[in-house]
Amino acid sequence: MKKKKILALLMAAAMVVGLAACSSGGDADKGSDNAQTTEDNGEQKTLRMAWWGSQTRHDITMQAIELYEKEHPDINIEYEYYSFDDYFTKLKTLVASDQVWDIFQLGGNFPEYMDKIHFLNEYVDSGIVDTSDISDAYLKTTEDTEGNLIGLSLGVNAYGIAYDPAIFEEAGAELPKDGWTWDDYYEAATKIHDELGIFGCSSFGSSEFIAGCSTYIAQYGEHAGDYNFFNIDLTGMGFDDPQMLTPYIQMRADMIEEGSYPDSGAAAEITNIENDFLVTGEAGMTWVAVNQFPTIYDVCAADGRELALAPLPRIKSDGPTGIVTQSSQMLCVSEDSEYKEDAAEFINWFVNSTECNDILQGERGIPIPDSVRESLSSNATDGQKIMYDYMDLISTYEVPEEFNVLSPAGQDQVVDNYRNYIDQVVFGEITAEEAADKTYADAEALFK
Amino acid sequence: MGKAAGTGKFRKFLYHDTTVGYIFALPFIFGFICFSLIPMATSLYYSFTDYGMAVKVPEFIGLDNFKQLLTDEVFHKSLLVTIKYVIISVPLKLAFALLVAFVLTRKSKMVTLYRSLYYVPSLVGGSVAVALVWKQLFARRGLFNEVMTSMGLDRINWFGDQALALYPLILMAVWQFGSSMIIFAAGLKEIPTTYYEAAKIDGANGFQSFFKITLPCLSPIILYNLVMQTIQAFMTFTQAFIITGGGPNNSTMLYALNVYNQAFQYDHMGYACAMSWVMLVVMAVVTLVIFKTSKMWVFSEADS
Repeated sequence: MKKKKILALLMAAAMVVGLAACSSGGDADKGSDNAQTTEDNGEQKTLRMAWWGSQTRHDITMQAIELYEKEHPDINIEYEYYSFDDYFTKLKTLVASDQVWDIFQLGGNFPEYMDKIHFLNEYVDSGIVDTSDISDAYLKTTEDTEGNLIGLSLGVNAYGIAYDPAIFEEAGAELPKDGWTWDDYYEAATKIHDELGIFGCSSFGSSEFIAGCSTYIAQYGEHAGDYNFFNIDLTGMGFDDPQMLTPYIQMRADMIEEGSYPDSGAAAEITNIENDFLVTGEAGMTWVAVNQFPTIYDVCAADGRELALAPLPRIKSDGPTGIVTQSSQMLCVSEDSEYKEDAAEFINWFVNSTECNDILQGERGIPIPDSVRESLSSNATDGQKIMYDYMDLISTYEVPEEFNVLSPAGQDQVVDNYRNYIDQVVFGEITAEEAADKTYADAEALFK
Repeated sequence: MGKAAGTGKFRKFLYHDTTVGYIFALPFIFGFICFSLIPMATSLYYSFTDYGMAVKVPEFIGLDNFKQLLTDEVFHKSLLVTIKYVIISVPLKLAFALLVAFVLTRKSKMVTLYRSLYYVPSLVGGSVAVALVWKQLFARRGLFNEVMTSMGLDRINWFGDQALALYPLILMAVWQFGSSMIIFAAGLKEIPTTYYEAAKIDGANGFQSFFKITLPCLSPIILYNLVMQTIQAFMTFTQAFIITGGGPNNSTMLYALNVYNQAFQYDHMGYACAMSWVMLVVMAVVTLVIFKTSKMWVFSEADS
């Protein structure tokens, strides 16, 4: 018994000594590390940043961040990047745990995250954020109705239709032009499908709602601003007759049935702009946010294809276009941040610095500071030139006095339901008129 | 002894079997309370509120969430789709598992290798990577359709047709039959060979001995697998989320995916909690039915 006890004691002692040795070794290392960093640069601040986008955007944003870190050695930026859906999934969980990234990217859906945004007005006043080079109109794209500057826009853009003229010519379809109508669009897509066997037009994806509802309703009437999907104050609908939605729904359902437009199974295969059917050659045209145009232009140019950009089709050839210039994304300072001033400083640099924007090349949209725009357009690639020309064309259109910068909270569900209703019309479960009624009811329910 | 009376009682308590048992179980109890019990209670509370992650202070709204479920089209569809999925995939999965287990308990040198091979899908099964591969397999230009066209047949548009979209998902579930198979294999080994020998002497053929001996002896294990797989099937999420996202037209909107959408995409957390509790009730009822009817077909050796 005594031997056993001694043996047990010895083993226990050996284990304890071993543990102590390991941990103290670790501590010693940590201690020396700390000593080193405090000697080198005073206090290093770590800012967390995140954004969504395509691989191109990830690469250039990381380059820009590295440039900033080189010029500001006391700032270390930990960044994360995601696809669009994954980004918002992560953001929502961070909102719930009050740990939103110091610098984060937001688009038109920012009202949902209002609580987490620290307005930039105080930094504009104190001079950290320089807005002298930015026109009021562009500043307004990221301001709410009370004048709070929610973020700085990383670029403005508008929507358009990118198309391959070679495919159109091969099929004998009429090329898109300024003032073309949805009927022209339908005929061209049908012709391409009939002659070449490919999709006339690629899937609009979640922008189906923007095309069929927000923009479509705004194209009714005589002048821009006569009708809006949601009213300007976002307190209700901006039009009364649900049946105004029907012609678009019917057209879309017809196209899916006839095969000139991808059904939801095929549409699910498109995960980002780079594998869109226009880019893979399986469609003649597609919906783009204009800032994405240079990316796909370059991809297609490598294959020897030259893409072009056309405005959205309208209901009437001389009617309102429904196109508005909007901020594509903005960078915001998070309410949870410990280093709000440093975050604001970074955002200021990101938007205003010519070196930074030389790297970014307007991939998120046309930069808002005048000097940056000038510097970029003088060095523009072919694809970018088309983009800048298009934005100039858009600026000649009649613009409504006021328009919605925001989308109401809960719009996501209306968008998903809208796409399901179109599928139901295709499968013959409901008529286009019923789909229009249901969409209107869903949208109205957001305000109850 | 020289020890005070109090210390004696404490020592007795500490070394008492029950106490020791509880102490060892403490980590599990702790985990269960923190990660199961408390979240469940919170979820029950939230199901009576309008909580969403953007809403910091949830308001009590009583049974409104549950009332809304009665008129929610997507909810009804997801319930039907999930029940259809369970009814088709679970029997298929168990049938395959039993068949393969049966074949693998025949004497053969390669048996251990085959057993491991057939178990592999279960190991990698529920992962996102496999779901992505499955998505590609049945895509319009995927492997399945390429084989079809090379044989001169028409392409099948699996994910574009609302009648067909559920089947690749069912297939993926059935493919992961490994764990059920192992359990069946263990059960098969337990059946005394004397039964088979007696049957052979009496002139029974393969089929008869399978249905009269194997199945009844296996019935407790079939019951176990049935209950476990049914519960798991009701909770399927990954396939629907990755492969189809619920489409087309919600024909693959499995229940768990709908809960996820409501909770995280549309920010109706309270509503999603209500849906989760409804699912708990549904699953409990189904499990109860299975247990109650089991008395009729489960043969317990002790009873005979």
